[in-house]
Amino acid sequence: MNCPLGTRDQAELLVAYSSHKLDRGQAAVLEEHIAGCAPCREFVRAQQAVWDALDVWEAEPVSADFDRRLYRRIDAQVTWWDRLMRPLQPLMFHKNVSLAAAAGLVLALGLVLNQTAAPPQRPAAKSGQVADMEGLQPDQVVKALDEMEALSRFNRLMKPETPESKM
Amino acid sequence: MAERVSKDVGAATAALDYDAELMLRVKDGDGASFAILLEKHRSPVIHFLYRMVQNQAIAEELAQEVFLRVYRSRGTYEPTAKFTTWLFRIATHLALNSLRDGKNERTQERLDEHTDDMPVRQLPDSKPSVEQAMLYQAKFREVRQAIAALPEKQRAAVLMHKYEEMEYSQIARVLNCSESAVKSLLFRAYESLRARLAHMA
Repeated sequence: MNCPLGTRDQAELLVAYSSHKLDRGQAAVLEEHIAGCAPCREFVRAQQAVWDALDVWEAEPVSADFDRRLYRRIDAQVTWWDRLMRPLQPLMFHKNVSLAAAAGLVLALGLVLNQTAAPPQRPAAKSGQVADMEGLQPDQVVKALDEMEALSRFNRLMKPETPESKM
Repeated sequence: MAERVSKDVGAATAALDYDAELMLRVKDGDGASFAILLEKHRSPVIHFLYRMVQNQAIAEELAQEVFLRVYRSRGTYEPTAKFTTWLFRIATHLALNSLRDGKNERTQERLDEHTDDMPVRQLPDSKPSVEQAMLYQAKFREVRQAIAALPEKQRAAVLMHKYEEMEYSQIARVLNCSESAVKSLLFRAYESLRARLAHMA
């Protein structure tokens, strides 16, 4: 074979050999060459020395409370939806049931919003009268805002994050 | 449960690893499977991150984020690759971001100062001589500095290749590049390390 140090691709083979990542067949061919090639022998010797030197760096032990901290963070992220659904977990085994429940909830919320958002029956405005915005009661406005907020939170929950999008 | 998992996964993913099956169980709400995955991959992920950012506290913080993301993504998880590929992809992404954000800018200073967080190594002799201890400290420091001096992507490739014993193909998937690009990265990285650590041979 030609000297591996002559081309980049072949030199990469020498690195793989030095890190013991070549299969037996490839290694045997290289060894035959290395036995008679001083520059390759020196290259492999130096690379194996690097490989061995890296063994010096041992990792540190992991903190004993790592898992506890992680589970605390996970627990803090459990949403009101998860808490609501927890007792129903056995029933939610099938994805279809889960989707149906979600769809049902959306429908119910939609109906509630539709009913509450509908303007109360009022007598027809006389011509020349300005629209009476102050006719809304404060508690009606607060309720409508609360419901919009709940619907918005629910929409966010219904769009689960993907791992790719987080990366 | 196993039956259902295998039905879900289908023939295309039949060859996938047990970790992927566990993750599918997590997707179905099985917390115990998440605990098994955590137990199995906690140390490799933290060690990889520690060697990347060279700071144990930051490494553990990043590892928390890795497993948090794994948990949060359970609902959309699809076993399109080995679980560890996905896991190390998240870990590498977070480590590179952390390095770029300069969260561990103190690292280099610490490396230049001393090595307080050096692990206690069990030397063969129960009472290592002062010379042995000093030699080990010197080697340890030089190796850390040599790896810290590598460009980030080369560093990640070397750490996965050397310490996590990953194949080129897997490293390529983690780093989102071709196998030949990984070989090239590793060649340049080991050449740099050889130049810096030649005197240790």
